[in-house]
Amino acid sequence: MGETAMTQDKRNVESEQRRLFLQRASVLTGMIALGGGSYILNPKGAWAADPIKVGIATDLTGPIGYAGIPNSNVAKMVIEEINAAGGLLGRPLQMVLEDTASNEAAAVTKVRKLVQKDKVDVVLGGITSSMRNAIKDTIVNRGKTLYIYPQLYEGKECTPYLFCTGPTPAQQCDTFIPWLIKNGGKKFYLPSADYVWPHVLNEYARKTIVKNGGEVIGEEYFPVDHNEYSATINKIMSSGVNVVFNTTIPPGVAVFFKQLYEAGFQKKGGRLACVYYDENCLNITPANEIEDLATCLDYFKALNDPFGNTLQAKYTKLFGTKNPFTAGSASTGMYRGLMLWQVAVKEAKSVKREDVAKAMDHAKVAEGPGGGFEIVPGSLHTKMNMYIAVAKAGKYEVVEKSNGPVMPAECG
Amino acid sequence: MSSVVAFFFDVLAYSSIFVLVVLGLGVIASMMGIFNFAHGEFVLLGAYTVYAFEQVGLPSWAGMTAAPFIVALIGLVLERVAIQRFYATPVIAMLGTYAIGLALREGVRTLLGGQFYSVTAPLVGSFAFGDITVSKWRTTIIIITALVMVGCWFLLARTRFGLRVRASLENPALARASGISTSRVYAATFAFGSALAGLAGGLMVPIYSVSADMGVPFLIKAFLAVMLGGMGSFEGAIAGAALVGGSSAALPWAIKPVVADVLVFIIAIAIVKLRPGGLLSSWGKRQ
Repeated sequence: MGETAMTQDKRNVESEQRRLFLQRASVLTGMIALGGGSYILNPKGAWAADPIKVGIATDLTGPIGYAGIPNSNVAKMVIEEINAAGGLLGRPLQMVLEDTASNEAAAVTKVRKLVQKDKVDVVLGGITSSMRNAIKDTIVNRGKTLYIYPQLYEGKECTPYLFCTGPTPAQQCDTFIPWLIKNGGKKFYLPSADYVWPHVLNEYARKTIVKNGGEVIGEEYFPVDHNEYSATINKIMSSGVNVVFNTTIPPGVAVFFKQLYEAGFQKKGGRLACVYYDENCLNITPANEIEDLATCLDYFKALNDPFGNTLQAKYTKLFGTKNPFTAGSASTGMYRGLMLWQVAVKEAKSVKREDVAKAMDHAKVAEGPGGGFEIVPGSLHTKMNMYIAVAKAGKYEVVEKSNGPVMPAECG
Repeated sequence: MSSVVAFFFDVLAYSSIFVLVVLGLGVIASMMGIFNFAHGEFVLLGAYTVYAFEQVGLPSWAGMTAAPFIVALIGLVLERVAIQRFYATPVIAMLGTYAIGLALREGVRTLLGGQFYSVTAPLVGSFAFGDITVSKWRTTIIIITALVMVGCWFLLARTRFGLRVRASLENPALARASGISTSRVYAATFAFGSALAGLAGGLMVPIYSVSADMGVPFLIKAFLAVMLGGMGSFEGAIAGAALVGGSSAALPWAIKPVVADVLVFIIAIAIVKLRPGGLLSSWGKRQ
């Protein structure tokens, strides 16, 4: 009897301990889920004036972290540069960084904090189109704040006070697709991830392919993390496709490229193309599996332009080589966004949204990685040089340059 | 003809990878009655081990050999520190292991800087028979999976260790009374399940590239496979895995991949509804 009571006692203690353990564990998980990921970077030195607040909302964690990390690095580098040069309008810049964690629902709360609590003067960030769509209303309409979106995307974003500094489908396809037809062939296959960017980009790509005398053999959509492509590869191999215009994304893309290579697509003369592939993506598959992959972006390290090289050297010195400064992961877009905004603030002599947006509408920067860039008035989009590059032994070789800056062809 | 061969090979190869992933989850679920939601991350740790070996200049097969042992050790530590507290409450176990998985995943993400890295397979390229090409590494995985399946069955059904494990599952109180330390058996079983996850991760990393989220797409389908096979039987988990893996690979040949992905779940749910005890319940051991 006594023994049973003791066991009972012990059980109570154990259950008490378990409850305590669970309580603590749940508090901790709660903290991780909600509390973390907010950083303020104060300007160095003593400043008399109040800082101008620059909100950066990007994916430092989660699947899109590979792009969000270099994005926040670029922002930090540029903001420190501006501060070192005396700030803007005599005021320093303070960077308020929020981790949107590749999670749209969490991100809305984070940007609400940026615009309502921190009262930032501008927000830059978002990588995926779904992220931009999730946070834009909170920033622009309800938050009455200027928003700059840095990533290459599917176009058609014409919300007032939302400026896009990455390449659009016109910029990525107009020179690239004729080049692919010349250096690959006429029969295209469009394997894609099932979300907004590939769907809308393919619409544009299909039009451009047909206009240039090509033909689309197939267009297929997969869940983003799909990991078995044999059915599609069989269709590609058996229908004499010349060009695989890929818009599947990581992690699925690694398996797709490997299966395509193992099936001998390239060996039989096929051309693989992927418009977001940059230096960041070269690690995803072994170099021989993406030999001759063609891509079209606004900057490559292989360009070897003096401005780009200086920027690269500075970036590498600050942040190392693990998360490089590239075009496909929105780093160049973030750079352009901050520089254009800076020019606009200087001209407007104000950080008020209406004034800055008015000046931003014709903002122009003479030098940048890959060349100068400017906003096309009335379009909310950026005109920039475009380059076609081909992967050779784990590096890119630039094979063609656009004839001057390419028009974004968006918003009227 | 060539596409028929390609079809069967690809379905078999994907099912093998999938069975390998499910084995570890199935062993833990069937022997201990809890779902390890950190299983995807144990797979990830196996993959990361191979990547880390390659980074220091060791060949990938060395990493693949070490992966099961390293992941078993990590599994053992986690079992002793946290997971053993969850055995009494399977629902809490799901949440707890999910949290552990999340911590592991984000930890690896920090180590990788959020990047994706490829690992070279010990056997590169493919066998070519006329028009038909067959990936060498996928063929290897099919063979290893078959061996591991037989080995697991032998270990659980034919050895003393397996007997103790089964005894601890059937009647823990009687097992303890007969001098079996159930706590140790549980720890060993969990470590064994973790080792299988590590092996799966190590073997599949040349196909999928290492990235923090590589285990995620497998977890839910693996969970489904174990449900389908029935919680109590090891053979059931394998049958469930073969069915889920096979249909995931086969359906996209006939219908749109996005629809196929959903259809796999619908078929599985329908089967669970018709055979709540699991696929093999009529001739397997009953709970």
